[in-house]
Amino acid sequence: MSGPLSLGWRNIWRNRRRTLISMSAIGVGLLLVIFYSGMVGGMIGEAKNQLDDAGMGHVEVFASGYRLRREVGRTMPDVRAQLHLPPGAQVGTRVLARGLATSARGNEPVQVFGVEWAEEAQLSAHLRKLTSGALPAAGDDRGVLIGEPLAERLALKVGSKVRLMVQRADNEMGADLFRVRGVYHSIAPAIGQRQVYVSAASARALIGIEGAAAHQVVVQLEDPAQADAVAGGLRAALGDRVEVLTWAELLPVLKRMEALTDNVVFAMAFFVYLLVGLGVLNTMLMSVLERTREFGVLMALGTRPSRIIQVVLAESFWIATLSVVLGSVLGSLLTWQFSRTGLRVNPAESLQLGGMIISTLVKTRFNPLDILEATAFVYAMALVVGLYPASRITRLQPAEALRRT
Amino acid sequence: MAVVEVEQVTRVYQEKGMPPAHALRGVSLQIEQGEFMALAGPSGSGKTTLLNLIGGLDAATSGEVRVGGQALSGLSRKELADLRRDRIGFVFQSYNLVPVLTAAENAGYVLELQGVGSAERRARVKAVFDRIGLAQFLDARPLKMSGGQQQRVAVARAIVSAPAVVLADEPTANLDQATGAALMDLMRELNKERGITFIFSTHDPMVLSRADRVVRLVDGEIVTAPS
Ligand SMILES: Nc1ncnc2c1ncn2[C@@H]1O[C@H](COP(=O)(O)OP(=O)(O)OP(=O)(O)O)[C@@H](O)[C@H]1O
Ligand SMILES: [Mg+2]
Repeated sequence: MSGPLSLGWRNIWRNRRRTLISMSAIGVGLLLVIFYSGMVGGMIGEAKNQLDDAGMGHVEVFASGYRLRREVGRTMPDVRAQLHLPPGAQVGTRVLARGLATSARGNEPVQVFGVEWAEEAQLSAHLRKLTSGALPAAGDDRGVLIGEPLAERLALKVGSKVRLMVQRADNEMGADLFRVRGVYHSIAPAIGQRQVYVSAASARALIGIEGAAAHQVVVQLEDPAQADAVAGGLRAALGDRVEVLTWAELLPVLKRMEALTDNVVFAMAFFVYLLVGLGVLNTMLMSVLERTREFGVLMALGTRPSRIIQVVLAESFWIATLSVVLGSVLGSLLTWQFSRTGLRVNPAESLQLGGMIISTLVKTRFNPLDILEATAFVYAMALVVGLYPASRITRLQPAEALRRT
Repeated sequence: MAVVEVEQVTRVYQEKGMPPAHALRGVSLQIEQGEFMALAGPSGSGKTTLLNLIGGLDAATSGEVRVGGQALSGLSRKELADLRRDRIGFVFQSYNLVPVLTAAENAGYVLELQGVGSAERRARVKAVFDRIGLAQFLDARPLKMSGGQQQRVAVARAIVSAPAVVLADEPTANLDQATGAALMDLMRELNKERGITFIFSTHDPMVLSRADRVVRLVDGEIVTAPS
């Protein structure tokens, strides 16, 4: 067998070290691109799918006008009966207020969340991560849940008393004494420092609103892609009393980042392969040109120019294939490993960006499509890297090629 | 019938910053089927240039070369490649063989280009190797073979596809006298047995003495008119 593929295969092993170096360079480039796509994909995917680190919804419904100045008087009735949501969706209602928490140690500004405990525990990851105490029982109107940083600043622990003071719907000040039932841990310090949780009923009593009135309904979806459809449905069902927003509107940064991600990965891949490609091109060129005379002999024997090109392309094809095997196996292993254990990309637990909370424990996304794309890039590069040296040979008259030593 | 016709061929090498080199100045030559012919002449007289033009490895500046009646001027690179594959065999002075191919693969290379299947290729190569005393070298790598053995493989490759002409540019220049003489004798026998035309260039009196006819080039011109 001396067809182009077989000849190319044997030729790449004539200089074993050179081939191994080229192969490692491309392989490592591929590994980087695969891992980087997995990391960025995981970061954005996680931020989008798991809004519960921030206790946010893919769709959020607010009492009409509430968002503007956050006046507690602007409420909406209980709309939960009117929500038609896809299976797997999680819903929670919140009564919101701003105020001050006071202990013997001092006082701190807080945001009071009046919630149904069971619902809220589904929506907010930190309510599932209590460092001490427990969620208040149903009907417990004095219980409050606070974050670690606030507990520290106000020297509070489970069982301590804390006074919450808020502005009431009638513009008077309302205050009441609560007892700390639990302390939670949030990956975002801002949450742990500001957000305190009481039952919806006690929040209503505190701010002086009636019945089942609330300010916000939070909806988390299994598939964030359904957000627009769900929001449209809610707008139609609930009309003017409410304002319906999707994650893309609530977190424009995330939306933009998502759009940017593909370009960023593409640009990164482009530059990695450009650098690697230039190195490999140089090597290929050297390796082909130093065999000019041999190609001259092949041409003299009646090898068509197109077949000479095939022989050279076969060499870059084999190098690419070996690199792809190496790079995609290692890249997949690495991506898969960190999709399970996660990779800490920053000493802080999370990064906050435009209202978005991104966990710095990035669980890479293992996406076969990423690997396919990265592989396609390698073969495209191999084509260029093979064609140029090949053209340098076929440009020569056979007699000229034979004169080279 | 003349298998090779060379008509008023000139070849001028024009390199940047150099005066034009007139390698051939109006050479005309007819070579008959079955000839065993030598091109002689001092270094730089144009022997290699003439062989290259006959083999379609290079284009004449003016004049015409015909192989088997086919004019070479105006043929594309691909058509020239096909013509060489089907009608012309080559033996060069050295480094004739592809080092990553075995001796048998080297010798069968032209047959493979012609689309001959691997079993038949192997059989035909083996027959030639048996004939020229290389039987035990079928699967040897060229670098493990002596210079004389390598040249024999090159001769096998040149004749196995039964071309009309074999062009050999100083085939014995890198061999010692005895080995060179044996190679010449081998080519002579193949020329007789198979009627293949051989055209070779040489400085070597031993080689010249074995030729049917010697054409002498000096400064790109034929000085001893062909008979
Ligand atoms: N590619 C080229 N570019 C420029 N000049 C060339 C080229 N090839 C050959 N020449 C010149 O043409 C002339 C003939 O060269 P050629 O190689 O045909 O001679 P030769 O008879 O084969 O010599 P030798 O016995 O040394 O092989 C020489 O003067 C040589 O320098
Ligand atoms: Mg010469």
